Amino acid sequence: MTNQSQQPAANSTQKSQPLLKISNLKTWFNAQQNNGDDIVKAVDGIDLQINRGETFCLVGESGSGKSISALSIMGLLPKDVTSHPDGEILFYPQDQQNSIDLLTVPEAQMRDIRGSQIAMIFQEPMNSLNPVFNIGEQIIEALLLHHPELSYAAARQKTIKALTDVQIPNPEQRIDNYPHQLSGGQRQRVMIAMAIACEPELLIADEPTTALDVTVQKEVLLLMQELQQRRNMGVLFITHDFGVVAEIGDKLAVMHQGKLVETGSVDSVLFNPQQPYTKKLIAALPHNLKQHKPPQPQLDINDSNHLIQLKNLRVWFPINKGFLKQTVGHIKAVDDVDLEIPRGQILAIVGESGCGKTTLGRSILRLIEPTAGQIIINGTDVSNLDRQEFRPYRKTLQIIFQDPMSSLNPRLNISTTLTEPMAVHNIGESQEHRLQLAVELLEQVQLNPDYLWRYPHQFSGGQRQRIGIARALALNPDFIICDEITSALDVSVQAEILQLLLELRKQRGLTLLFITHNIGVVEYISDETAVMYQGKIVEQGVTDQICGNPQHEYTQKLLSAVPRIAA
Amino acid sequence: MQLPTRVFPMTDPMSEKTHNSTDSTTPTPVIVSNTFVQRALHNTFKRWGARIGLLWIALLTIFAVFAPIIATSYPWLLSQKGIITSPLVQHLSAVDVTLLVAFVNTGVLWVLPGSAQQKMLIFVTVISISFAASYVLIKPPKLAIYEQYRFNQNTKNIDWVITAPIPYSPQDYLRDYGDTGLEKPLAANNRSHWFGTEENGADVLSRMIHASRIALAIGFIATGIAMSIGVVIGGLMGFFSGKTDMIGMRIVEVFEAIPTLFLLLTFVAFFGRSLYLMMVIIGITGWTGYARYIRAEFLRLRQQDFVQAAIALGLPLRSILFRHMLPNGIAPVLVAASFGVASAILAEATLSFLGLGLVGEPSWGQMLNQAVRSSSFNWWMAAFPGGAIFLTVFAYNLIGEALRDAIDPYLNKS
Amino acid sequence: MTDYILRRLLLMIPTLLGITIVVFAVMAAAPGGISASSLVDGQNLDPEARREIEVYYNRIYGLDSPPAVQYLRWLNNVSPIGFEFDENAEIKGFSFTKGSDFGKSFRYGRPVAELLSERVPITLLLNTISIPIIYIIAIAIGVYAATRRGTQFDVISGGIMLALWSIPTMLAGVLMIGFFSNVQYWHWFPTGGLSSSESGRLPFMPHWGSLRDVGVFTLTTVFATSLSVWLAITGSPIFRAVVIALIAIAAAIVMVLALPESSQSIGWTILLPITLLLLTVPIALSDYTVLRIAYLGFLGLILGIAIAMHFTQDSFVRGFLFDRIWHLILPVICLSYGGFAALTKLTRTAVLENLMSDYARTARAKGLAEEDVIWRHVFRNSLLPLITVAASLLPSMLGGSVIVESIFSIEGMGKLAIEAVQTRDRELVLSITLLSGLLTLIGYLLSDILYAIADPRISYD
Repeated sequence: MTNQSQQPAANSTQKSQPLLKISNLKTWFNAQQNNGDDIVKAVDGIDLQINRGETFCLVGESGSGKSISALSIMGLLPKDVTSHPDGEILFYPQDQQNSIDLLTVPEAQMRDIRGSQIAMIFQEPMNSLNPVFNIGEQIIEALLLHHPELSYAAARQKTIKALTDVQIPNPEQRIDNYPHQLSGGQRQRVMIAMAIACEPELLIADEPTTALDVTVQKEVLLLMQELQQRRNMGVLFITHDFGVVAEIGDKLAVMHQGKLVETGSVDSVLFNPQQPYTKKLIAALPHNLKQHKPPQPQLDINDSNHLIQLKNLRVWFPINKGFLKQTVGHIKAVDDVDLEIPRGQILAIVGESGCGKTTLGRSILRLIEPTAGQIIINGTDVSNLDRQEFRPYRKTLQIIFQDPMSSLNPRLNISTTLTEPMAVHNIGESQEHRLQLAVELLEQVQLNPDYLWRYPHQFSGGQRQRIGIARALALNPDFIICDEITSALDVSVQAEILQLLLELRKQRGLTLLFITHNIGVVEYISDETAVMYQGKIVEQGVTDQICGNPQHEYTQKLLSAVPRIAA
Repeated sequence: MQLPTRVFPMTDPMSEKTHNSTDSTTPTPVIVSNTFVQRALHNTFKRWGARIGLLWIALLTIFAVFAPIIATSYPWLLSQKGIITSPLVQHLSAVDVTLLVAFVNTGVLWVLPGSAQQKMLIFVTVISISFAASYVLIKPPKLAIYEQYRFNQNTKNIDWVITAPIPYSPQDYLRDYGDTGLEKPLAANNRSHWFGTEENGADVLSRMIHASRIALAIGFIATGIAMSIGVVIGGLMGFFSGKTDMIGMRIVEVFEAIPTLFLLLTFVAFFGRSLYLMMVIIGITGWTGYARYIRAEFLRLRQQDFVQAAIALGLPLRSILFRHMLPNGIAPVLVAASFGVASAILAEATLSFLGLGLVGEPSWGQMLNQAVRSSSFNWWMAAFPGGAIFLTVFAYNLIGEALRDAIDPYLNKS
Repeated sequence: MTDYILRRLLLMIPTLLGITIVVFAVMAAAPGGISASSLVDGQNLDPEARREIEVYYNRIYGLDSPPAVQYLRWLNNVSPIGFEFDENAEIKGFSFTKGSDFGKSFRYGRPVAELLSERVPITLLLNTISIPIIYIIAIAIGVYAATRRGTQFDVISGGIMLALWSIPTMLAGVLMIGFFSNVQYWHWFPTGGLSSSESGRLPFMPHWGSLRDVGVFTLTTVFATSLSVWLAITGSPIFRAVVIALIAIAAAIVMVLALPESSQSIGWTILLPITLLLLTVPIALSDYTVLRIAYLGFLGLILGIAIAMHFTQDSFVRGFLFDRIWHLILPVICLSYGGFAALTKLTRTAVLENLMSDYARTARAKGLAEEDVIWRHVFRNSLLPLITVAASLLPSMLGGSVIVESIFSIEGMGKLAIEAVQTRDRELVLSITLLSGLLTLIGYLLSDILYAIADPRISYD
């Protein structure tokens, strides 16, 4: 899958030259909370060295301090709350004899280094560009700042050149576009163009592809790799995705709670981790999880075996335009989808953002009203039932959401969250009984029963997601839609949640519709897979077949874009 | 800068997408108080601004409740030929008594244990009973003759007397002194008027203390009315969206396009000047802001996963609206309400100032109006009532701002 | 865009209809309502004459017909297209060119359109002077406070702004007019109106009798201003504060001496120096150079003018311009302080939010200095909420004009509005409603268009 194995051979003379050397860096925050001065040791003594022409990957789960390290290098942390009690960041610019300690360098000199010698790109391409200036102005601003000798016209020419370099089509016209007129991938290309416009020696990329779709991620990664080789830049690449690391990294450091756990070449750390934490992380990757697949029950191709059937399901949103706001067209979020979900199976729907997979899931529950088509549950068409008639079906159909922060009502404690729906659907004879049931639910999702009296803000993301599962189970449903339930979670938590779901399915004989963009998760969990693209299901079948031998062009493109750790 | 210091110890705020995730170990919450409301209140009244504001409002409440006792021409106790009477008690009106009962009741309930619902129930029952009883039983003399006790006092007809700290009723024009008219603060020789007297000779401080009732009542009730209308209309618009929303927004636009003060003027000029009418009028001209807030909140909340979950769980509409959406969307409305109380007080003061306010009873705005209409400029007639309006409005604004800062986590530190 | 503007203009019609219906309904539903008898109520007339007048009013204004008919008739008169009637009130035909007729005011007996065309420009003058002042002060202080969040400047300015915002306009107006316009205290400003009675005879520009006086005036003001600006820039804060404090105390003494005998008291001798010290010293100590220069320079200018006037008083002719400015100072202060207090808070919030944004971080990562990040990147984005507020500023300022105009006896629309509702002048009330509603809606539309210009993400297609 990767070509990183050939690449270190080139420029080996320059390779060993150090570009950035961090020793014992500490970044502390003094958060004044209430009365006590709390010190948060976000980065707590890390050592690393980045050489010229090398891609150094910094991997860690959220909160490990990897972004803070990057911002410490750039000197972009708010001065009033941060302190560096120890350590130094030595930068070796090409045109100077001596190294510079970025922690002690005066702010004016640091500004000269920022953007011209060390550049940075960020995760959110939409928010990272100023929405009220066109992209040309923003790149030209950086150019003129560091090269005041350039004329405006020359800077504009250089900007067009930079946009060409990052493969923006029609750069002469695009240069006058505003950020909102570009797609996410293009915006990230613009960010890269801005970063490389001044030809920096070190590029810091903080999760640059996390917000992008996998096919776009592939293109951006290739672009970064090519630019790096062409210019012999050093790159500090921060990510949480080991697949991406395997794709582009030379060296790898794993960060955990402000410290570096393990450092080494990508191959050695990925395939031969030494530290327990690294081992645990790598073992939690979906493809490393113990395969669960039970022997496939033989299915009759018979309607009665399908718990849910969708026929020509259509969710269209009107586009109103013009003087009288007449409908001029439709956004076809879900466009004539036919789908059967066999009882007791896990069906995964895969697709990139905007393909309509979430809308499809919600329209089955009629959280979004379908425009046309049939939803057949246990042989009954429910798509035209009114609120009251549909209510009994709500018991059988449940959903778990993506964002653990917003999926629980912050004002209600867990006991209310779990018992209220039971009371509505007459489950349990009394409130005491229902509380007993709630305790059992918490035990099933492996949470402490004492948590019943807590409020959502007292839980971590993973715990909230478990509570979300418990809430879905409260009504004893047959069918649960899991809408991107692990995409906001760290990989180790994701593994726990996936295993929990499989366990529950075994216990309760659940049917799951698993909506995700993560192919690794799909391969791990689902029996069948449907690939969705622009509102339509382009391919459907047994997971192993789809992933092993994709037929549709889009599926092939999608699968080949997934960064993988090749053994 | 980038880091909201209150939250970042837990997670890495730089990576937006993975922001939410943490490992499965329990984070230790900083404040272990239970509900959101408690946390918000705790955060609010931690701020000195809110404390000062609250202190002033509390002081004002005490003045309002005890006004007929603090500032009255009637002696508290009077011994005349060996018979001890209390003219004060004889002259208390039904409203005065009900207010006193309510005040004591609140104090007692505050101390006693019990659930909020029980307390509410007791409170409402006690108030209604005492209100009804006092209306039936209490019949203060219709004719107020303020001079009679002073007259007795001066003619040495009595043994001893205990008078109020401010021994002047608001409408006691001190006719018996003969020389009534303007007095500067503390200038009168034989009697002390702390804040001076107005042109007719009535004590300014006494009038101000009695007027604090109007200010408080207008503030609370008018805002309550505005908020109820706004929440209902805004909630309907936000939840049902579509056509309801469109019609609702047109109505909101209509009301917002008329300068509020002008609408108020028209209302008051045409409908007359009773206190209760004024509350209603200020209420129905000020609901649009609340409607907008709650609509925006409901539109936002509808998309939130926990509301979607509530729908998916088949919860009844009543529960979705009042249990899941309203408590989560009410915060900005409460903030707006505390600013709203301030602007309701200001509205009443403005109307009275423009000569369209209450007649008979003094209000702060009306006193300010008096100051302007008098032939010469007497600063105490303007500065004291005006200052009271300012302090009250300032107090509510301080509370409102602290409340907003406490609720808005984004700008939490300032 | 043109489509959008047209659409919005058309949508104004139902809104305006709604507004007038609301106000008309209020008038019609009121006890007594808009009947002829309510119009003559206050007047001391014998029953015969009263009846005569009532009949007359009914004939002219149609006050005896049902409210709905009255409204429709009014609407027909006001709208530029509509039905035409002949003498017998029969419909003559439908006309597209009949033009708007706002009717005649009950009270003034003059056409409403004429009255409004006299009054509205005055109110607009007040507002158009105030709005730039509001924005300049709000932006200068708000941005600075946001960039120094949590500092002394931020906390103190925040407190002051909230306090200013809470001061009722009428209190400020009454105190100002009482102390600064009244002969009992300092009679520095006129007691009301927009121009002195003799202003019609004055030349436009101010002038002095002799060249020497002009020289004295110019020299003194320029000297005082530059001295205070110099003081604002140089010197240690302590030195600055001491000098300013001395000047303030000196000014206070002069002010006490300037009081008429009857008003001089020990209270003033204590209070005035303290007030002046509080007004000057904190700003002199502030580390915000621009604010210091502006504020102290302004005070220096005033001081200079005051001293110069003292020496050149006799030969000075104010001129129409100076006279107008002289009359406008107090009302404009009253009208603007609440606005800039509120807007300062808003600016601070907006800037704060944008300072924390990702694109501001990108700008810093480019190597831009913080100053450029703020003024090039953050400020432009922070303007967006300020543009939105500009729309809602207008109705509240129209409301504010009502108070200010009535305190300072300025014959503007606000004062007319009070008179109209007090005398139940139906035509006038409805027309003022219509006009202020129209102004407000145009304000909304303008701010939406401005928003689209400032924010490329918004396009109204």
